[in-house]
Amino acid sequence: MKIDEIRKFKVGETIKYYGELIVMRDAAQRRLRELIAGSKELPIYLGGKIVFYAGPAKPPKNSKIGAIGPTTSERMDEFLEMLYYLGVIATIGKGKRSDLAVELCKKYQRVYFIAPSGAAAYLSKCVINAEVIAFFELGPEAIYRIEVRDFPLMVAIDSLGNQIF
Amino acid sequence: MIFKNEIVKKVSELIVEKNCIINEEVKVFLDEYRGPFSKVLKENYKIAHDEGLPLCQDTGLVEFFVFIGNEVKLEEPIKDTLNEIVETVYIHNPFRYSIVADPLFERKNTQNNTPAVVHVFETPGNKLEIRFLIKGGGSENLSRLYMMRPSSNIENFKRAVIEHIKENGAKGCPPLHVGIGVGGTSDMAMVLSKLALTKDFKERNSDPKYANLETELVRELNELKIGFQGLGKGVSVFSVHIEVSPTHIATLPLGIAADCYLCRKGVIEFEDR
Repeated sequence: MKIDEIRKFKVGETIKYYGELIVMRDAAQRRLRELIAGSKELPIYLGGKIVFYAGPAKPPKNSKIGAIGPTTSERMDEFLEMLYYLGVIATIGKGKRSDLAVELCKKYQRVYFIAPSGAAAYLSKCVINAEVIAFFELGPEAIYRIEVRDFPLMVAIDSLGNQIF
Repeated sequence: MIFKNEIVKKVSELIVEKNCIINEEVKVFLDEYRGPFSKVLKENYKIAHDEGLPLCQDTGLVEFFVFIGNEVKLEEPIKDTLNEIVETVYIHNPFRYSIVADPLFERKNTQNNTPAVVHVFETPGNKLEIRFLIKGGGSENLSRLYMMRPSSNIENFKRAVIEHIKENGAKGCPPLHVGIGVGGTSDMAMVLSKLALTKDFKERNSDPKYANLETELVRELNELKIGFQGLGKGVSVFSVHIEVSPTHIATLPLGIAADCYLCRKGVIEFEDR
């Protein structure tokens, strides 16, 4: 998905997403922030990416990914400007975000989607491919690249700063 | 003697079941729900059931409430048995290791989902009752303690609960089960609020005054229209339970805990014959 498409979404709209997502949550974002503060090189490139706030369960036998679903986005608000600065075009999580996040979506014209929470068995079936791409040692909090199909999303904050909650 | 093997077998099975099979009381609400993502939520419990996947990727911190009769003999401290159970269950199932050892500095994952939190209470008799919550982090972050003024009235009490859920309810995967601990000390009120979450939705406090208060809170919290996923459709809370304890003349502790819409919990009883 391109940034121009992202900007067309209106709050409340539901879509089925096909494509790539970068999975990360609290611990990985904290590490990215520390690397940036120390002027170190980042292990991943986030330009044009969509970040999914999640930490998957262990995969069952013969599966690439285990149960996966959104975590509370509000905890990630302190990292949102960093993600936008790094080129992230949208984020996916669950629940209401702070006023700061709404302001940042408006300022950078980016979007926040919610995915259904507590539906991790279902969402794992939408994942076609998954690999750890950074911070392997963080276990469920490592950074993953996943490819999804038919992934249910709803626009919770649009690029004009309108929000559903 | 209640043998360790028996406890291990039965509690292990129950923890797996509660992670993968939808709570029967929740299912009734879920099947009636028609709002956003309703199809996904219904499909989810079917897939979890059929494939042995957990309903939620956050397979929680397991919190136990153990009531041990004074005539009960065990092979080892119950805490050791329960931690061994959690370790084995979480290693052998497609669950998530969600526990970090040091909370502030390293936050290093323990890689087996232990330690569990175990509260032990003594009771008279020959029974061993084990209650547990599979407690996700999202709903756990909704926990609050208010040290209210002892002169507070029922309205003040209700207002504190309602305001808290109004502000934060949408973050904890609603509809919620709300647990309230009132009285005791600050720590006790919080433990009681969690114990309240182990009750079935239809149970009511044995004291009619508190039973009424529970019913009133269910009604008033549902007027908040938080709804499934915080999107305003369907109920906002499934139930409210209040646990009560005597307190100091100068205090009125109010502990609030919330469980997410999956309400993954179990109760099992053993008898020492």
